[in-house]
Amino acid sequence: SHKSSESPAPPGPVCILMDSRCISSSVELMTSLRRDHGVTVHVCSLDGSYFIVSNRMAVERHSQSDLAALQNRKRLSERVKSLQGLFERICLIVEKERSKPGEAARPFQRTRCYDSSLISLVRSGVRLLWSSGTEDSAGLLADLAQLEQRKGHAISVPVEVKGQHRQQALQLYLSLPSVNHVQALCMSHNFSSVAQLINSSVEALQTGGCMSRSRAEEVHRFLRHSCD
Amino acid sequence: RFRMEGQAGRVGNALPPYGHVIAAERWRNSTLVRELTGGGVKALFESQLGLADFHLPNHTCVLYLAERDVIAGDGYRRKLVRFRKGSGSFQELVLVETSRLSQQDFPRLQRFLALDLGLSLLPVGGQTEAAQLLCQSVSQVQLDGRENPFRRRSCFQLLDPLVLDVVQQVPGVGRVKALALLQHFCSLQQLCNAAPAQLEPLVGPAAALHIRSFFHRPT
Repeated sequence: SHKSSESPAPPGPVCILMDSRCISSSVELMTSLRRDHGVTVHVCSLDGSYFIVSNRMAVERHSQSDLAALQNRKRLSERVKSLQGLFERICLIVEKERSKPGEAARPFQRTRCYDSSLISLVRSGVRLLWSSGTEDSAGLLADLAQLEQRKGHAISVPVEVKGQHRQQALQLYLSLPSVNHVQALCMSHNFSSVAQLINSSVEALQTGGCMSRSRAEEVHRFLRHSCD
Repeated sequence: RFRMEGQAGRVGNALPPYGHVIAAERWRNSTLVRELTGGGVKALFESQLGLADFHLPNHTCVLYLAERDVIAGDGYRRKLVRFRKGSGSFQELVLVETSRLSQQDFPRLQRFLALDLGLSLLPVGGQTEAAQLLCQSVSQVQLDGRENPFRRRSCFQLLDPLVLDVVQQVPGVGRVKALALLQHFCSLQQLCNAAPAQLEPLVGPAAALHIRSFFHRPT
C-alpha cells in the first residue's frame, strides 16, 4: 500500500461493509482486515453476499472453480448485472482454491467456460483481481477501499441508523432503484426528512446521496415519474 | 502478406476481420500463434503495432507479459504506462504469464497494473493457455454488446411497479392502499406533497395522518 507522505493529513481508517451472508465464509478475512489492515468492518444486510468498499464500488469473492463451472454462469451473470444496477464499479476477487490440510493442491483445470466468462467480464467493465488466498484477498479489499478513499469516495457516513422512523426512511431509500446501501445511508443522514429528499434538485441528490450526476438524475426522474 | 491501408499512424487502431487477430511481427513462429492457428484463428502479422502484441476483433489490444518480464524487476512499469496511453479507442488487456518463479512478484505487479493504472489483467500459465483465451475471445465476438451475459441492460425498466414498491415502504401502506394512492397521485413527489385532507378520502383519516407524518417528520 502507499505511504501518504505527499498528503498533509494521514487518511483515517477505511470502512468496509459486508453482507451478513459472508460471515461464515469470511471469518478469517474479517480478522485479517481488522488486525493487519486497520479496516473497520461493518456487517449489515445487503441484497447479496458482497462487500462495499466505497460509495460506488462493490466487491465479490469467487473461487476459480466457481468461474470454471458452467452451471454457475447464469447465476454469476445475474449477480453482476444486479450489482451494476447499484454500483458504478464492480470488482471480482478470484481466489485460488484452498487445498485441505494434508491434501496436495489440485491443479486448476481451465475450461472454455472459464475463459469465456473472464472475457465477458472484462468486456463489460468488471475489474478482476487475483488472489492466492484469504490473506491476499483481505489485502486487496483494503487496497481497494484505500484507493477509493484517495479518490474521495470513502464510506464516511455513520453506518448505524438509530430510531424507528429513521430505519423506516432508510428502508424506503433502499427501495429506490439504483440506490445502493451506502447511498441510502448517506440519504438518511444528509436529508432532514423524506419529503426534503423527494423535493430535492438533482444537485442536492448528488451531494446528499453521495452519487454520480447520472445516478442522481435517474433518482430525480424516478421520484417524479408519473404512473398512468 | 498483410498491408495496412492509409498512413502508418493509423496502424495503432487496426481492427482485424472476424476470425482473425493481428499479431506483432515478433510473434511469427511462436508457440502461441501455432496454437491459435490450430484453434481455427488466423493471424495477420504487422510490424507497426506499437507496444501491443495482439489486436482482437472486439476492439481489444493485448499486451503479453512473459515470465521473464515479470521477474526482471520494474522494467515493465514504463511499458505498461505507455501501453495504457497508446491504445486509443481499444480496450487494453494484459496477459501475465504466471509460474512458480513469478509467483512472489505477482502481487506487486497486480497492484501497479490493476489498482494504480486501472488495466485489466488475466493470468495465464503460458502461451498455450493464452492462445486458448484469445481463440475464445475471437469466437465470442458476436456475443459482445447486447448478448454479453455480464453487460448491464440499458433498456427501459418498467418504472410503475417500482414506484408501487416504494410506496409500500411507507409504514401502514400495503398493496391495496398503495394502488389507491397512486391512482390518485400518480408520482411519489405528488403523493409526498399531498395534504391530509386530500389523502383522507382514499385511506381514511388515521392513515392519512400517518402517511403525511412519515414524509414530513424530521429524520
